[in-house]
Amino acid sequence: MLGRMPQALSWVAAAAALSVIPYLLTSYHLDVYRLLLLWIALALGYNFLFGVAGQIAFSHFAFYGVGAYGVVILWSKLGVPLPLAAAGAVAICAALAFVVAVPATRLEGFYLALATLAFGQLFIVMITEGGDLTGAAAGIQRYALPPIFGHKLTAADYALVIVALLLCTFAILWRLDRSWFGRACRAVRDNSTSAAAMGVDVARIKIAAFTLTSTLAGAAGVVYAFLGNGIAPTTFDVNFSFQLLFMIIVGGLGRHLGAILGTILLYLAPFVLEPYVGHHHPLVYGLLMLGVILFQREGLMGILDAVRRRLGGVRPVEQAP
Amino acid sequence: MFDFSDLLDLCVTASASGCIYGLVALAYLLMIRPTGIINFAVGEWATVGAFAAFTFLALVGLPYILAIPAALLLMFGVGWATEQLAVRPLVEKSAPLIAPILALLAFLVILRELVGLIFGPDQFRVPYPFGFRRVEIGPFGGSPQNFFIIAVTLAVFAGAWFFFERTVWGRIFEAVAINRRAAALMGINLGRVTAFAFAAGAVCAGLAGLLISPAFSAHWLMGLPLAIQGFSALVVGGVGRVEGALLGGLILAFAEQLTQRYAPIPSGFAAAVPLTLLILFLMLRPTGLLRARETR
Repeated sequence: MLGRMPQALSWVAAAAALSVIPYLLTSYHLDVYRLLLLWIALALGYNFLFGVAGQIAFSHFAFYGVGAYGVVILWSKLGVPLPLAAAGAVAICAALAFVVAVPATRLEGFYLALATLAFGQLFIVMITEGGDLTGAAAGIQRYALPPIFGHKLTAADYALVIVALLLCTFAILWRLDRSWFGRACRAVRDNSTSAAAMGVDVARIKIAAFTLTSTLAGAAGVVYAFLGNGIAPTTFDVNFSFQLLFMIIVGGLGRHLGAILGTILLYLAPFVLEPYVGHHHPLVYGLLMLGVILFQREGLMGILDAVRRRLGGVRPVEQAP
Repeated sequence: MFDFSDLLDLCVTASASGCIYGLVALAYLLMIRPTGIINFAVGEWATVGAFAAFTFLALVGLPYILAIPAALLLMFGVGWATEQLAVRPLVEKSAPLIAPILALLAFLVILRELVGLIFGPDQFRVPYPFGFRRVEIGPFGGSPQNFFIIAVTLAVFAGAWFFFERTVWGRIFEAVAINRRAAALMGINLGRVTAFAFAAGAVCAGLAGLLISPAFSAHWLMGLPLAIQGFSALVVGGVGRVEGALLGGLILAFAEQLTQRYAPIPSGFAAAVPLTLLILFLMLRPTGLLRARETR
């Protein structure tokens, strides 16, 4: 996907482009842009979990929420300094993800989805009933990021934090995907018995993939917490995990670029569809997903590959499941 | 002082909601047994059942005795159509099992949004068939609707038991559940079994939605909680046996209601009880309480 440019150069170019855009946008479009980048970060992690490691889980938004609630509670309620609170929230996510992963990854197929769905719902119940600590149904509102080195961050400045998060997430997953770990994940996904026979420690790979991607979701949650300076249970609803699933499937399961394209398409679709279906744009998501599963299993990436092949381009390096 | 008659009334309420969970669990079970497919759209089917009840009773003005069969007939069609659209094409392409499960997840969203788009975000009151009053049967007191729910559910489970144990069609279902390939080689039409499984599942789920709609109103987002509770009931009771679905539903509902009434925690936490049970059972006893019979 990076063409023939040296890789490092293209990373720098992407970072520069993504960082300049916020300063060119109106405040409304800036909000859309910032949230889009966060969704892409989430989708990349989720794509690794489901597309590469083959685990279908619905706890992604719960861990996103653990990160967000973690940092805000540590910092504004318990008085922990912000950098420590952010690190602490990510650490809590990692620990919690590990605790969930050890028993959950033993479950076969869709039973993992159900256990993690229950976990996600349990998280919503907890933060809704958490009283003063979590602010109950209203959540925690009206805190603000302190000035950093005397400079008060504008909305556009904060977009740079999100760009950094996104690129770090992408870089980590990109590297891992091409390492022995990524290959082991794919082997476990395709056939765990033969992977075990080849000497892959299946349980350990599954736990590592779940913990890693859930922690990345938590890190995104930490960044989200200061996006609008307010958090509430509705943001972390299990239904958004379904949406994430739809995004990566429509984009092309197991492909980074697919996750990005799918997210952009489904995230921007409501803005176009609003006049026709109002708030019921998930209807279109459902139709797209059904269409992809029935007729185009490799999603948008499958179409892109076909176009490339037609134009005589290079064969894709990445492997779709 | 401990109010004993209050506890007895609570038993009726809990049994009724346990029956609802049991019906949803039965809907899952009817599809999982022969196909292995977990269809999460049962919650949305229940929504459709509730809205069908609302449409036939409140909008069309049919009497209850006609409205129920009409709604169930509609559900049979919905289940059949779901199988034809989202499952059969994938099974014919011999796609992996996860493909129809995901397709049904997409179907869930499509159904939910369609209901939301057609009826809007309001709650719709569905009339009580037997009015709203208090009936007492022996020491137990409750609304007539609750007794009706219990009676209908018992009849459905008795019918399901009879079907699986005593009819040729039931044996065919069991044969497919035990070994799909062998059953197909014996001349059983797998496609027809799958289609019937989905149609029957939709009828069960729709019945659950129809039965609770007077007490809870029909709402386009009512499906997911029902789907989760029904599934928890199934996991608690065990996928192997029809009775397991009802047993799981009752255990779940009693745990939930007793916690809500007597445990010294905020009542909102009662929503956590079924979820916790689901997680515990998945971890500790994934086969559920009742194991499948030995295959003969």
